[in-house]
Amino acid sequence: MSQAPKAKLRRGKGQRGHYLLRLFMAGNGPNSKQALSNLRHLCRERLKGRCTIETVDVLKNFNAAVRDNILVTPALILLAPLPKVIILGNLSDRQKVLLALRLSEGDS
Amino acid sequence: MGVRSRPIPKAPTQIAGLDDVLEGGLPRGRTTLVSGGPGSGKTVLGLEFLCSGAMSGEPGVFVTFEERAEAVRQNAMSMGWDLAALEKAGKVAIVEARLFGEEVISGEFDIQGLLAILGGHIKRIRARRVVMDALDVLLRVFNDPRRERSELYRLHEWLMDRGLTNVLTAKAQREGETVSQFEFLDFMADCVIRLDHRVIGQVATRRLRVIKYRGSGFGTNEYPYVISDHGIVLFPLTKAELTHQPLGPKVSSGLAGLDAMLDGGFRRSACVLISGSSGTGKTTLASAFARAASRRGERVLYVNFEESQEAMVAGMLSAGIDLRPSLRARKLMVQTALPEAMGSDNHLVRVLEAMDSFKPDHLIVDAISACVRMGSEQAAFDYLMRLIAVVKDRSITAVLTNQTTDLPDSGEELSGIGFSSVVDAVIQLRFVDAGQEIGRQILIIKARGSGHSNRRESYYITDKGIEFPNSLRLPSARAGHADEKDGER
Repeated sequence: MSQAPKAKLRRGKGQRGHYLLRLFMAGNGPNSKQALSNLRHLCRERLKGRCTIETVDVLKNFNAAVRDNILVTPALILLAPLPKVIILGNLSDRQKVLLALRLSEGDS
Repeated sequence: MGVRSRPIPKAPTQIAGLDDVLEGGLPRGRTTLVSGGPGSGKTVLGLEFLCSGAMSGEPGVFVTFEERAEAVRQNAMSMGWDLAALEKAGKVAIVEARLFGEEVISGEFDIQGLLAILGGHIKRIRARRVVMDALDVLLRVFNDPRRERSELYRLHEWLMDRGLTNVLTAKAQREGETVSQFEFLDFMADCVIRLDHRVIGQVATRRLRVIKYRGSGFGTNEYPYVISDHGIVLFPLTKAELTHQPLGPKVSSGLAGLDAMLDGGFRRSACVLISGSSGTGKTTLASAFARAASRRGERVLYVNFEESQEAMVAGMLSAGIDLRPSLRARKLMVQTALPEAMGSDNHLVRVLEAMDSFKPDHLIVDAISACVRMGSEQAAFDYLMRLIAVVKDRSITAVLTNQTTDLPDSGEELSGIGFSSVVDAVIQLRFVDAGQEIGRQILIIKARGSGHSNRRESYYITDKGIEFPNSLRLPSARAGHADEKDGER
């Protein structure tokens, strides 16, 4: 972020600094619901305005699960910025999620 | 309550010998656990079960947690199972369910994703069978016994709800190292099969055991098996021992003199040991038997561990025994192999396959003393015991030669390598110092269920075969060839 003080910044999707997250859920399972709520909370706090959350229900869209080889749910994939990261679980360990998304304190 | 003896429905594995042990196959619509160490053949067993189902109207899904799908296809192809073709025909689906090991874990999760993928494939090909290979790899990601159990239970219920006959494979823990997930797997599965792979005396030996089978009987022994080039081959040895046939009627040894000493000849389906040091004529004696039997139209399988077929035929020709007509008439089949060329299990598969295709009346193994070169005395012993069990079960006469050392009167070696109990007749050949020359003598040491001479008799090996100078006869025996019907005394 520090090396890109350009005007284009903060324009949204597809840009440096914009987070594209895909969350795989299994219907309305408790862990899936909790993962979505944890993720929304985290995005509101740390990625306001520069994050897109895409949810996939593996019970309805098994081809998407096949494509991304999703064996366990909930599973979160950070698609952008690269490198890609996969986080399994209901995202209740906030520090671990922040670290994995390269958003831990002093990093942003 | 009612009658409870109705057998549970089973899905045949088509694996040679295994369905016998399982009394028909694996429990249909239920879970079977196959556990074993690396290289024990878990994947092969799973693949064989899946392919045999796919080819007989029960499509199946193969889930691999460890290997790549392509590696599974190649593995199957090396056994002659064309998975790619079965996939194309919509009879098999392979699910590569490999975790990458780089996932970050935060909070609880479950295997709904896997079930969704599995469910999609099952629906698509109308699968009836599911094999999950290396399930332990999936379980490891949970890293918590309680969650492993709950996910296993979820999987089990899910498969049961759909009536899928399923095989789960898992790496066995080393001895003494019990892990709760395996105890739970054992408990959960309706049928548990353990594969054991050991190396004894540099030779790999494999054993299969059925630990439990809810609602069904099963063979309770450890069964040796090999992984041949068309899958797993099992030897239900103990079954053969229980059912082997009684000795049959007399069959000529091919030598009038020896027939006289034996009161008519060998007994059909007996195990005959011909013992003697190098040069005493063991192969000649065995070949005389082979030629005589093939002339009667009977089939002889000759397993030669000492020399090539050409060398054997040439050698016997100089001793007056022409085996070529027997070979041409396909009444004699010679199988040659260097003992050290492969492990004893593979030797056994080779001879059993020859027996299955050639269906011999008589089997000759020349010489069993060479079998220790398969790796160890134990390997040789296992090979011979298993071979003899099969031979007895099929009422095949076995003539075994055994080369003893040159020590005079090494009588204690006669029982070969410790399997005297299965040997029905023992013939000893030896050299004797006859003044100016070396002579040869033959002695019948034992002949179960038959009268026999107790005298040492002289014989010569000439260019017309083995000749007995004395006209031999037992007090009770007629001269010449014995009548084959003369079985009972």
